[in-house]
Amino acid sequence: MADVTNPASADLRQGVTPRRQMRDFRMETPTAWERFGDAMAGRLGRNIGLTALILFLSFLTLYPTAMLIYGSFHSAPPGSVGEFNLDGYRTMLNAENFKILLNSVGISFAKTIPSITLAVLLAWIVARTDTPYASTLEVLVTLPFFIPPILTALAWSMLGNEQVGLINQFWQWISGTNYAIVNVYSYGGVVWHMMQYSTVFLFLFIVDAFRAMDPSLEESSRMSGATRWYTFRRVTLVLMTPVLLASFMLSLIRGIEAFESPLFFGTPAGITVITTEIYNAINHRATPDYQYATALSTGVVVLMFMLVLLQWRLLAGRSFATVTGKGYRPNVTKLGPWKWVTFGFCILFFILTVALPISQLLLGSFFRFFGFYQWDMLTLDNYRAVWENAEFWRALRNTMLLGLIGASVTMVLGGMVAYVGVRTKFRSRRIIDALAWLPWMMPGMVLGVGFLWAFAMLPGPIPIYGTIWALLLAYMALGTPIAVRVMSASYEQLSYDLEECSRVHGASWWQTLWRILIALAWPAFAVGWVLTFFGIMRELSASILLYSVGSEVLSVVLLKLWSNGKAEEVSVIGLLMMLLVIVFRYVHLQLIKRRISTL
Amino acid sequence: MSAVELEHISCKFGEVLAVDDVNLSVQEGEFVTLLGPSGCGKTTTLRMVAGLEQNSGGRISIAGRVVSDAEANFFMPPDRRRLGMVFQSYAIWPHMTVFDNVAYPLRVRRKSKEEIKERVDAALRLVEMTPYAQRPAPALSGGQQQRVAIARALVFEPDVLLLDEPLSNLDAKLRLQMGDEFRSLQKRLGITCLYVTHDQEEAMALSDRIVVMHAGKILQTGAPEEIYQRPATREVAAFFGSPNLLEARVTDATAKADGSFDLAVEGNGWAGQARAGEKFASGQNIYVMIRPENVSLNGAHDDTAGPSVQWQGKVASSIFRGSHRSMVVETPVHRFHIEAPAFGVAGIGENVTLSAPASATWAIQA
Repeated sequence: MADVTNPASADLRQGVTPRRQMRDFRMETPTAWERFGDAMAGRLGRNIGLTALILFLSFLTLYPTAMLIYGSFHSAPPGSVGEFNLDGYRTMLNAENFKILLNSVGISFAKTIPSITLAVLLAWIVARTDTPYASTLEVLVTLPFFIPPILTALAWSMLGNEQVGLINQFWQWISGTNYAIVNVYSYGGVVWHMMQYSTVFLFLFIVDAFRAMDPSLEESSRMSGATRWYTFRRVTLVLMTPVLLASFMLSLIRGIEAFESPLFFGTPAGITVITTEIYNAINHRATPDYQYATALSTGVVVLMFMLVLLQWRLLAGRSFATVTGKGYRPNVTKLGPWKWVTFGFCILFFILTVALPISQLLLGSFFRFFGFYQWDMLTLDNYRAVWENAEFWRALRNTMLLGLIGASVTMVLGGMVAYVGVRTKFRSRRIIDALAWLPWMMPGMVLGVGFLWAFAMLPGPIPIYGTIWALLLAYMALGTPIAVRVMSASYEQLSYDLEECSRVHGASWWQTLWRILIALAWPAFAVGWVLTFFGIMRELSASILLYSVGSEVLSVVLLKLWSNGKAEEVSVIGLLMMLLVIVFRYVHLQLIKRRISTL
Repeated sequence: MSAVELEHISCKFGEVLAVDDVNLSVQEGEFVTLLGPSGCGKTTTLRMVAGLEQNSGGRISIAGRVVSDAEANFFMPPDRRRLGMVFQSYAIWPHMTVFDNVAYPLRVRRKSKEEIKERVDAALRLVEMTPYAQRPAPALSGGQQQRVAIARALVFEPDVLLLDEPLSNLDAKLRLQMGDEFRSLQKRLGITCLYVTHDQEEAMALSDRIVVMHAGKILQTGAPEEIYQRPATREVAAFFGSPNLLEARVTDATAKADGSFDLAVEGNGWAGQARAGEKFASGQNIYVMIRPENVSLNGAHDDTAGPSVQWQGKVASSIFRGSHRSMVVETPVHRFHIEAPAFGVAGIGENVTLSAPASATWAIQA
């Protein structure tokens, strides 16, 4: 026993009950509430929770996938009586569609290769050179990632129009000629628009790899007598091969999934890809051919699945060990006066991908007709028209509502799935992982078709189709893979000791979850929330299939106005969305900054 | 009543038996160390006491309460066991201040604000961290984090304090200092400690009793001096330093009053006396263990200390270590590792005579 006369010992006990009476810290028999808590944290609660999670995820991802296959054999539209046949697949297999497939894959290749080159260059400039204002440049260069593609697509449709586009007008003005140098309605236009997004997407992947690389690997190459350029080729790039390969495959997949670029720039020029073909089959025919569209969608899923398998094969056995979480100070190349060239290059990229489109929207919003920029054409009518447009207000409300609810619910779901995947050893966690990952293989368009069937097949008393909840479910499915990834990464960073320590010191499973895990993971949650919100705001391809009157969202309203030739009102709404993007991106950056400084 | 009682506990990970039929009883106020190489099951044993791992066999009691009984399918979750624990990583929660970290065990038990304040202050005073109370936890050095972890583990006066290699993340000097400080704190407060380490010096300096583990089993339990001087097996002997183990055969054994035995032994070209803890039969093969610091060079040994054993050899290597010199002496019998005085001893290649007192020898089953 302790020597109670000892000052230090008395210190600890001063004014406190003697040791024997201290025993009632926790009553020997747990209270009813504690028993309930134990049960819910124990086997029974665990099984109930896991079952609920699996059921919900299945409804969100497996059910629409299954309905896709079902629908591809069903001769009538969703909800109608029909028979089962192979007509959908028969229609799918023709020479024209082979060309469409080639278009999809070819365009995706054509944009991936320049994108990856550009992304490596930009990442190198930002992470590994002494280019001035590198951190500001990084924020500027990555901004396009957060802008809904429909906005820049609209802007570039105006900028690169052969007759009235600003670029061509400007060219004709300075050169004195009257022919156009740019026609955005072409293969080139589709590739160019996709590139703006994939470059930034790839940049985000690659820049971290550049940063996280152990500098001593390169230093030892230099010490062995290799030149800087030789080292870059034989050490730096080779070490980054796994990252480059992974991003290449991702970019390829996303290129095939892309909808906005081929819709805006391909369709007018008669260039069709898989996603626009599905869209046309449902939305642009006298009688929508659902069976054909569904068969095509199933084909896309199969194609994506094969690409993902290929990716796994390519990446098998290649480790990402060079990309550790350690905070290395990377080697910085001193560029001398060339640093202003690299600086200018980044600024040029920003101007082309962000500043120019925004200027076009700004310009377009103040003129009576886009393309005719004269002083007497200046007007505020467009703003007034949008202000008085009830559909716009409804869409704004819907988008905000869906964004707020959708991002929250998706992140909670992602947090739970990630917890099961990272923190437990339940056998069912593989099923849960796979279910949550399923939408990764499905473009929004395809998932939209799947949900069309899924909602139609639900029993009568559940009227989801045509309501805003239909969109919510689709957004949740599309957002879950990213939400899971963000939360998994966050949990993996937290040592398991932190939770065990809490348990040993008297906190129950629930208390630990709340006070330790959630308290520590919430910054990641917030960052993921903003990302998911962005995802919802930009979503077009699933929305266009699942909306109905009353449940429009902003991207859908934009597309409808554009189809009706109201480019000027489109500019106004586009500007407003752009503003939202910038505000949210700012909040996002602040969150990330605070998180890094506190942890 | 013992503070911790382990009865036939075992733990299986899949097909691997990580802990195999371990029995141990820790008395109240005692400092017991589980010592062994990595993978020997010591940490698993500690985690089973904590309730972070479930024992697949046997029964664990803490302060007279059964907390886990595999046969009765009873398992008390860790938060009900009234324990304190210091983790190897310290597990200081990075989103809390020092005060909040230490207050945590009291807060989850819904103590009053005043009581929390009072007891956290007292605990921080104990580890001399009072000025840092409002610091955010990540802004602490390793040693300070260690102190916070100890304060947190002690703040609600647990029945038993568990420590999982708490010093291994500190640098050598700080490790010694923190170890000494912690030991005196433990003695003053009379805390029952179950401590895990792979560092034999740390184990000897801190413990009342050491439990040497290997491959999931207990090899030997005893006071540090006993484990060091009278190891039960070759593995235990080899775990502390690099002892000289000489092959020999027993020729005679005489019982002594204290229950030990004096053996007459005969090796390859030498003969002498060795002490033993059990009666070995004549003709039995044994190892005679002699620690390097007990071997003297060229008759530096004091003859009045009783009978001794001698060998002739040649110095093979000599490394200066400051306070002493580590030498290897090649003899026909054995390659001796010895600790010689730092200065004024034979150089490499010189012939020397080695001697060791019989009282410093120990016989181990071959």
